[in-house]
Amino acid sequence: MVSRAQVFVVIPAFNEGPVIGRVVGEVKRAGYRVVVVDDGSKDGTAGQACAAGAAVVTHPFNLGQGAALQTGIDYALAQTAEVIVTFDADGQHRVSDISRLAEALFDEHADYALGSRFLGQAPNLPPLRKALLRAATSFTRLTTGLQVTDTHNGLRAMTRRGAAAIRLRQNRMAHASEWLSQIAGSGLRYVERPVIVEYTAYSLAKGQTIGDAVLILLDLFARRLYR
Amino acid sequence: MIAQFILSILLAGFLVYAWSARSPAIAVLAVFVTMAGLYFVWMPEHSTQLAELVGIGRGVDLILYIWVCLSLIVVLNLHLKLRTQMELITVLARRIALADAARVAPSSNDPVLPRASGDPAYR
Repeated sequence: MVSRAQVFVVIPAFNEGPVIGRVVGEVKRAGYRVVVVDDGSKDGTAGQACAAGAAVVTHPFNLGQGAALQTGIDYALAQTAEVIVTFDADGQHRVSDISRLAEALFDEHADYALGSRFLGQAPNLPPLRKALLRAATSFTRLTTGLQVTDTHNGLRAMTRRGAAAIRLRQNRMAHASEWLSQIAGSGLRYVERPVIVEYTAYSLAKGQTIGDAVLILLDLFARRLYR
Repeated sequence: MIAQFILSILLAGFLVYAWSARSPAIAVLAVFVTMAGLYFVWMPEHSTQLAELVGIGRGVDLILYIWVCLSLIVVLNLHLKLRTQMELITVLARRIALADAARVAPSSNDPVLPRASGDPAYR
């Protein structure tokens, strides 16, 4: 087991000023290193994150969550992270789940530990959102062949080796499927662990809709047309 | 006759442009399409014969359909080019962001940007 100072928690943030300070503070208090990737926010997200003690990497303009995660991973790898965790900025994840995922990596000799709200709990998850997530999971299972239960969960832990095998090229939300196709392609071992994803009014307002799902499918399709 | 001359001049102009296209495949295709256009401008009855052969009423309709298809291919091609460019911009923006982070807050002793460190221009 590595020390918590070698665990880097990557938090992509776009206009998360109202909540980022609290989220960073909680993760810092648990003893982890925090990297906030400010994805071109206009509301002082970077300042809030910095004040809360995170290392902040700022995109010069908005590129999308997938791009922000890759930037955070690159930063953490350069800082000799042993374990890299991705964590949502909107406060829907529990800090206590981080250690559960990190421990799963070592207990199971896996390179990826993926959080699943369907193995765990998702309080206040609206029925429509749940149906959308289920459909997305079925789609990803079909296209990647991985038998995962929750493909669109922002909470994941990976070893250094696992992180190095990830190269996200879907800048926008289609990165969720890309994670799994690259995990499948890497041939490295992955496990799933139950986590709690708590839906608040704030996180719901920022979440994905059916319209976004159509855009995601178009993104994934377009990606297959070249190279 | 007037329309034929105007169209011929326009197509001839495009022919020059097509000839200078960078990708040889695109150049050949554009030259071929322009030549076919010139031919049908002067021989409209041939386009009608060809249209009837494939089951379309008029030659103008045939040309319209082909034109729509070609435009869609061009749009798709442009879209894919834009995506490729976006990927390059992302790589560039990421490198700038990481370089700035290393400069502003050297939070550890380890140098950031491992991939750039081998490159003398980035030292």
